[in-house]
Amino acid sequence: MTDATLGVRKALQPVRARLDDLGIDLGTVRSFAYPTLFAAGILLLWEFLVTYFEYPAVILPAPSLIWIALIERFDLIWFHTVPTMRDSIAGFFVATLLGVGFAAAITINKYVRDSVYPLLVTIQLVPKVAWTPLFIVWAGIGWESRMSIATFIAFFPILISMVAGLQSTDKSLVRLCTSLNASNWQTFWMVRLPASVPYFFSGCKIAITLAVIGVIVAEFISSSEGLGFLILLGASNFETDLILASITVLCLMGLAFYGLVHAADALTNRWMSR
Amino acid sequence: MTVAPDPTKSLRPGVRLQEMILANATDWALKLAQPILAAAVLIGLWELGVHLTGVSAVILPAPSAVAQTSYEFFSLMSQQASPTFWAAAWGILASAVLGIFLGTLVSYSKTIMDMIYPTIVFFQLIPKVALAPVFVLWFGKDIEATILFSVFIAFFPVLVATISGLNATNPTYERMGNSLMASRAQIFMRIKFPFALPFIFSGLRLGVTFGIIGVILGEFMSAERGLGYLIMFAAENFETALLLSSILLLLGVGIMLFAILLVVEAIVMAVYRVQ
Repeated sequence: MTDATLGVRKALQPVRARLDDLGIDLGTVRSFAYPTLFAAGILLLWEFLVTYFEYPAVILPAPSLIWIALIERFDLIWFHTVPTMRDSIAGFFVATLLGVGFAAAITINKYVRDSVYPLLVTIQLVPKVAWTPLFIVWAGIGWESRMSIATFIAFFPILISMVAGLQSTDKSLVRLCTSLNASNWQTFWMVRLPASVPYFFSGCKIAITLAVIGVIVAEFISSSEGLGFLILLGASNFETDLILASITVLCLMGLAFYGLVHAADALTNRWMSR
Repeated sequence: MTVAPDPTKSLRPGVRLQEMILANATDWALKLAQPILAAAVLIGLWELGVHLTGVSAVILPAPSAVAQTSYEFFSLMSQQASPTFWAAAWGILASAVLGIFLGTLVSYSKTIMDMIYPTIVFFQLIPKVALAPVFVLWFGKDIEATILFSVFIAFFPVLVATISGLNATNPTYERMGNSLMASRAQIFMRIKFPFALPFIFSGLRLGVTFGIIGVILGEFMSAERGLGYLIMFAAENFETALLLSSILLLLGVGIMLFAILLVVEAIVMAVYRVQ
């Protein structure tokens, strides 16, 4: 260890002692402070480089300009955030219902499993965003097409993780059920379903991000509202600050959705372990 | 359900092997036959349904119409499929190189890892496709811009898989390497990297899917070439049969890229003898 790092350590000694008094673990501080510092550093560097070299704001506006655009045009951005949010949530919920339903059918019935499941997995191989124009031909350019695309994209991860979850049940538990004369349905309801909950939530976490992606792609292709539309509008007017401000809001929305699913997961976990 | 032959009852090992192969073959045939049969039934119902209800070909063309369109427009479609294939292939290759390289760099030091990993996770969660119009703004509409966007989408799963793979080495082996005075580079090449390979390849499988998504989206946005362009073109002209044929061809492109990856995986795994 060099003298310099030793010096830094010595200087940090009182800070460390204070944190210990407060009962805060240094590892926790590290895991928050490092990424925050890193992100702040990147933003500052970005701001500095763009301002110093007078880079055209049409191509890459400084973070401060994006912030200003976000504040000044928040009404417009919020107006377009609502439909995106609504369609993503609706699509996600429909996908959850369908995914769990199909997974249940696949687990309960052997014929469905052997014949339908491989087909679903094959359809899954095509990039699902490629189907978006077809949904627009089918359902028009209103919210129906955007919601159905979100449903279509979010359906597969839920289906696949649910099938894995329902089949992952402890084999001896299933055998116990059989020997206790439980019906297929009872085994499903009382043993397989509770065991699949962690899988369900891991599928949901993928599905909620994909639902947002589906809605955004649909809005890119054809729509007159939503954040995807606003981003395209910004691109055609060369308002890059508006684009990046919309993307910031979109990211925050995606993270909030993910956080909600995560919270639901944690709550269910606590409730089930009681 | 076939009953596996009891190995203790067979006198000659050759017979046992033959029996097992035969049992496996019938098993496989059954496994393949059911989905194919189900697909045939579904396609039959679809054809029948379209003819009986007389639904317009814009909404849902009959499978026979899709087949006919695929046949008629095959040269046009394959002309558009080739840029899609190459863009995706280059994008995936670049993502692999970049993802593995940066993953190695990030997991080299604990401090760098602590700083960057949450940012990477953040990027995993946000809808990156939203940046497609920005990429057009920044890099134009050439095929290079499409490839760049595909790299942007596909490289994160490879990066994350590389990092988690390099962190998943069994510490006992690492300690053994240390006690045998292996250098850091040797430990990396002989222990950490081979252990990470299965993770990296599972990341690359995701990367293939993501890379194709990136290319298709890029083609949606730039609208100059490729299957993405053809799909948009077909949708705008309500040529639903052409749209479905293009999606089918895209499935072919995807399977081809996936197969290439599987071959590469098999070769690399054989070289490293990782089971």
